[in-house]
Amino acid sequence: MKSKQATFILAMGLACTLVAWGKPLAVIGLFVVSGMAVGSLYALGGVGLVVLYRTTGVLNFASGAMGAAGVMLAWQLGQWGWYEPMTWVAGLALATGLSLFYGRLIAPHLAARDTVVKAVATLGFALIVLGATSFVWDDDVRSFTLPSDQMAIRLLGLRVTVTRLIVFLTTVALVIGIWVYLEHTRMGLQMRALANDRHISSLIGVRILKVETIAWGMAGFIAGFTGLMFGDLVRLEPNIITFVVIPSIAAAICGRLDSLGMVLIGGLFIGVLESLLTLSPWLKSVRTVAPFVVAIAMLVLLQSGNRLLFGRDE
Amino acid sequence: MRRQIQSGIAALAFLALPGMAMAAGEAKVSCGTANGKAATGKPIKVGGIHGNAAPGDFSSSTDAAAAYFACVNASGGIHGRPVQYMVENDQWNPELAGQAASKLVQDEKVIALVGNGSFVEMSVNAPFYAKQNVMAMASACAVSECFESSNIVSTNQGPLASSIGAAMYAVETQKAKHVSCIGLAIPSVGNWSCGAVEKYMASKGLKGSSVLLNPGAPDVNAGLLEAVASGADAILVNLPAGLAIAFLRAAQEQDLRDKYQWTSSTPLYDESVPKALGKYWDGKMFINAELTPLDGKGADNQHWRSVMNAYAKAKSPRDTFSQSGYLSAKYFTQTLRAMDPAKLDDRAAVTAAIKKIAGYRSDLTCGPYYVGDSKQHMPNHAGTMVVVKDGAFKVVRSCYEYEGPYFQPLMVTEKSLKLR
Repeated sequence: MKSKQATFILAMGLACTLVAWGKPLAVIGLFVVSGMAVGSLYALGGVGLVVLYRTTGVLNFASGAMGAAGVMLAWQLGQWGWYEPMTWVAGLALATGLSLFYGRLIAPHLAARDTVVKAVATLGFALIVLGATSFVWDDDVRSFTLPSDQMAIRLLGLRVTVTRLIVFLTTVALVIGIWVYLEHTRMGLQMRALANDRHISSLIGVRILKVETIAWGMAGFIAGFTGLMFGDLVRLEPNIITFVVIPSIAAAICGRLDSLGMVLIGGLFIGVLESLLTLSPWLKSVRTVAPFVVAIAMLVLLQSGNRLLFGRDE
Repeated sequence: MRRQIQSGIAALAFLALPGMAMAAGEAKVSCGTANGKAATGKPIKVGGIHGNAAPGDFSSSTDAAAAYFACVNASGGIHGRPVQYMVENDQWNPELAGQAASKLVQDEKVIALVGNGSFVEMSVNAPFYAKQNVMAMASACAVSECFESSNIVSTNQGPLASSIGAAMYAVETQKAKHVSCIGLAIPSVGNWSCGAVEKYMASKGLKGSSVLLNPGAPDVNAGLLEAVASGADAILVNLPAGLAIAFLRAAQEQDLRDKYQWTSSTPLYDESVPKALGKYWDGKMFINAELTPLDGKGADNQHWRSVMNAYAKAKSPRDTFSQSGYLSAKYFTQTLRAMDPAKLDDRAAVTAAIKKIAGYRSDLTCGPYYVGDSKQHMPNHAGTMVVVKDGAFKVVRSCYEYEGPYFQPLMVTEKSLKLR
């Protein structure tokens, strides 16, 4: 598998090089840093998806909608004059609450169903949450800012705000922290056992509801954090934030819904390739397909293996 | 949310005091002969189509038209008959847009459409309106088909004229040499309007370039970098307000405010924009306004506000599209009142009367309104420039007519109608 990962990284590096070929290095540097900033957001969303998938077997299409609801609440409370950190806490709490609501009340009823059915059910929940969010906050001009937007450093000519650095560093920290948690703690062991075989796990005494609740809570918190960052760095529009889950899923697929390190690398490559495609007069109009091209490339590479993406229990 | 709570309270108050509220409105606002009698008799059927679904709401145009018609009905109607205004929502869905037009024109047999506002409806229905010989007096147009069809005429300018107006300001006042137009990668919107900006710049011996953003791409940073890489000295933001704010936030993140001249087409002329932009852009963001400023003191602008206050919901936006919707409904009513009462239900006669409109004037627009029997309609091609200042807008250039190759055929039409 490691050789496939290396092949993937080489292929992506080659694709980026080809797209950027012939352009001044200073310009390429700007686009690479800009792409990494967006890519780290995709990776952040992807990490949340993989954490949940590895522990519950649910590919959560609703994570974007949960994050969107959270950041909209944070914005609203800010408009009402709430103390800023309290608005962030409320936004994170709403996203986490929505995730726990689904994880405790809906997901257990679908536990025995196929993985695809579980994923599609979350898509339905995403549309419900998006509908409710759009109903409460109708179309209007809004912006959400964080104090860290005012501070920045220069990197390859591009001004990178502290908010973007926070996103990148948080993603890296999450990848490391969650890997340690899953591999080296008792709860992490139980989570992996649960994901591997829910029935046998319950027979050997794993407290399924407790473990799943923790997993849904973690995923909701990450979704809320991603929503806050996306609302600040990209756009405060519920439908845009909701469907950021799509490039995040592409990033998650790069890690086979398993390897957090590859999710980070995949997310960054998606962002960089998407950004560099702007330099091509022929390809810039199709740059939105970059996440899918990257995901398909990874899927093709995985074809020779025997690991099914949606078939953990088979 | 606050606005919805407020409107909920307002609705309760309205339910509690219906007589008082309407009586007060009717006493102050008149849209007709002011004989104090509400219109009776067979309704005159008029349609309207707007787009309202994520990510945009164009319903303020039909809201304003509905408010004006309600005012007309309360003021004696048209030759004593009330207007029955039927509004459909295309939800940005071409299939629904086609169904809405079919329902209104073929099933309900409306004599005209008034106040239409959509990205989708005009592109889908322009051939249908021509085939059915029905006129659409639109108010919130954003696509080329809306301005280049035989049976659609709008009171608003759309992105092409408004962008050229902004580019003119950048060239004539800010002395820009190279304007980079940031538009949407939709052929009949961004390519069309930014392409016209490029032609305008070329006609002045200057350089124009376009950066077209995919509306589905969440990241706008790459588009900003592309504009920077183009070597432009002025950036013209020609995007829907939400996307424009995101683009300007990205520019703020790179601290580009003082490195370029900044202008925008009308979508940023919205009362909520100065707050969303923040202090960073104070005095630096220049925006084209298609119609008269929202706080204009002209009689029609004052009347528009009064009609909205008396007959529209409190939450209905008081924006440019609302002004346009009011104006379309006013011109339509004016045309029907000049017609033979016996022909008010004759769609062909109404279409002919609308096409004969020439020289209607209002303080809401800088120039005269006309229709004519033409395949290109853009009567409103002069506007105002405002700057974001102290959390509001300040006029920096009053009514000026736009220049460029696109407007040449319009000038010929206006000369033939003796309007210039």
